[in-house]
Amino acid sequence: MPKIRIDHTKCTGCRHCEIACSLNHVSGIANPRRARIRVFHEGNVFFPVIAGPFVDAACTSKLQLRIGEQTYDMCLVCRASCPQKPFFIEAGTGFPLKCDFCGIPPNPSCVRWCNSGALELIDD
Amino acid sequence: MDGWTGRCLRVNLTERKHAVEEIERERLDKFMGGRGLGVKVCSDELDPGVDPLAPENKLVFVSGPLVGTGAVTGASCNVVTKSALTDTLACAKMRGHFGAELKFAGFDMIIVEGRAESPVILSIADDKIGIQPALEFWGRTTSETEALFKKNLSDPWAGRDTYLVSIGPAGENLVPLANVINDGFLSVGGAGIGAVMGAKNLKAIAVKGSHSISIADGERFVRVVTTLINKLNSAPLTSRSMSSWGSAFFMDRCYQEGILPINNFQASALTESRDMETEGLSRTFALRSRGCFACPVACIKKTDVTHPLFKGKGMAPTYLAIGALGLNCGIWDLTTIAMGNMLCAEMGLDPLAAGGTIATAMELVAKGVASKDSLKLDLRFGEGEGLLQALKLMSTKKGHAKRIGKGARALADECGEPDVFMGVKGLSMAPFDPRVIQGMGLHFATCNFGPHHLYAYTFIDEVLNVHEAHEPSATDGKPELVKRYQDMATVMDSLGLCNWPLMGLKFNNFVPMVNACLGTDFHADDLLKIGERVWNQEKLFNMRVGFDRSHDRLPERFFREPVAGGPARGQVSKLKDMLPAYYALRGWNENGEPKPERLEVLGL
Repeated sequence: MPKIRIDHTKCTGCRHCEIACSLNHVSGIANPRRARIRVFHEGNVFFPVIAGPFVDAACTSKLQLRIGEQTYDMCLVCRASCPQKPFFIEAGTGFPLKCDFCGIPPNPSCVRWCNSGALELIDD
Repeated sequence: MDGWTGRCLRVNLTERKHAVEEIERERLDKFMGGRGLGVKVCSDELDPGVDPLAPENKLVFVSGPLVGTGAVTGASCNVVTKSALTDTLACAKMRGHFGAELKFAGFDMIIVEGRAESPVILSIADDKIGIQPALEFWGRTTSETEALFKKNLSDPWAGRDTYLVSIGPAGENLVPLANVINDGFLSVGGAGIGAVMGAKNLKAIAVKGSHSISIADGERFVRVVTTLINKLNSAPLTSRSMSSWGSAFFMDRCYQEGILPINNFQASALTESRDMETEGLSRTFALRSRGCFACPVACIKKTDVTHPLFKGKGMAPTYLAIGALGLNCGIWDLTTIAMGNMLCAEMGLDPLAAGGTIATAMELVAKGVASKDSLKLDLRFGEGEGLLQALKLMSTKKGHAKRIGKGARALADECGEPDVFMGVKGLSMAPFDPRVIQGMGLHFATCNFGPHHLYAYTFIDEVLNVHEAHEPSATDGKPELVKRYQDMATVMDSLGLCNWPLMGLKFNNFVPMVNACLGTDFHADDLLKIGERVWNQEKLFNMRVGFDRSHDRLPERFFREPVAGGPARGQVSKLKDMLPAYYALRGWNENGEPKPERLEVLGL
């Protein structure tokens, strides 16, 4: 089954994937707030996060993620949209957005426009 | 409208009022946006004789129509104002993410007028415009300002969608060398703009938006952008050299040609130093790439967070920083240069203008006309410690800092040695020796904003030979080359595109992207004509300020002192051979003034 592999060490934070996603879902509309992928920035590292489920309650536990020398808030890489992390909700309509794994290679659109190698389509 | 938002935010800081205005379509068609629109607004609304630091001066932040649309490298937001350093118009090319966010907030342009009574920050979140007190931010460095602003936001996640442009202590203290810094560490061009912002008591502008930008032909646009990404990816300079080291990779080529000036343009660097090349750069820094909005090249290299000196602040030095803060001051140590570059970003200084001032001071000391006592600084060629101290001092308000903080020309004049100032129109020259690279020399002499290579990157054809093969030292075809690159850079700035992709793409490649995005039917020539129109508009403004033929010059050194060694040995600048042809090509008279018939063709 094809999968998207995310390599956060390669992401440059250019956010071209966000626009690619937005343009692919509504033709002729560029808006990162309508994208089902967002790139979060912490220190010098960027985490591309692809929208997962919409949940109406936040987690009761707070987690930390340790990568090498750095500690990150686990919410940063979480794919869910929740009251504490109000992302992946369409501005204006309040419609929850979720990745629909658009199309066959060279899509999904985010992978197609990612030039850094941070997003890659793999098959295993 | 497609591409443009068609809206402008006018903020008057004196009255603490703001208004949203529509931008006429005719104006956008004629001047496109970005630099072009900013220049038009300044030309129409500014008295050419205005004191740059007076409340009557205006500061225009303007994104191009392609910014934020996903167009390849469409990230550029230009800041246009009358410069406190040169008295000409100045234009900073801000990259990063601020420009795109401004579009998402629903604005093409912000015009800042007047002067706030006390320090303020302008915050824009879609249609919510706030002018908030910024006393606690005053005196802070640019990265501190950004971090504190985001920390103060009530919603902890909102900071992740907020982008800032700010000034550092240098701008607050009205140092004419000051620049505006966006995203906490980025600055490109625009010396003299930070002081204008400081004079308005405007510490920063923060912007966050959620609106959409509409694109005329979405499906075609996606196809064209995909093609351009692939093209950039298959061109060696954009896919490998720029992506790996940023513009610092020119170093290797410049050694071979003898283009790199050292010790305030007294000689050229010819001996390759392994420590200063791309290899040294990779060894000294981890070189993590940072991409501006929608850029597949990602030429910005951040310093490593684990590096004890930088902790992720600032960026690895670019060609300009290595040349201006390094070799031209006789400094050959990458870590010192990067420290200097970081200090510039933190303090809000322009590395080119600041480095040029220090190099001038160093030569004055070497000549014996300035001393350690008169400068209150130990400045000698090759002394890194002195450079770092000077950068810290020149952004402060201390009495003795004024001398070095006024810039290279003022310093050289004060010491009675005006020829030691290596610059044009008051701005220090970018690190390219105009005796060796003649086209760049012609551009330096004629550029409306002063001698900065980013307003016409002829290096691409003169040295890298990407599109056409030119000899750097030849003068044949150079006026044509310079005019084309100047017009190209101007229209790309007006569209909001970065100029670096010209290393992998032809100008013509961008045309279908522009048309698909804006729903227009432009040919490459139509776009170049817009570039030419803007260039002439800038020229007309400068003429009204009082700039004339005598300001289109190069420092005397380049005519009197031939190059001492290397492939260009014995050469001097041939500017005087090229300038009449350049004026003729532009449709200007022999005094460098646009002829009425040319202006009519351009619709000015």
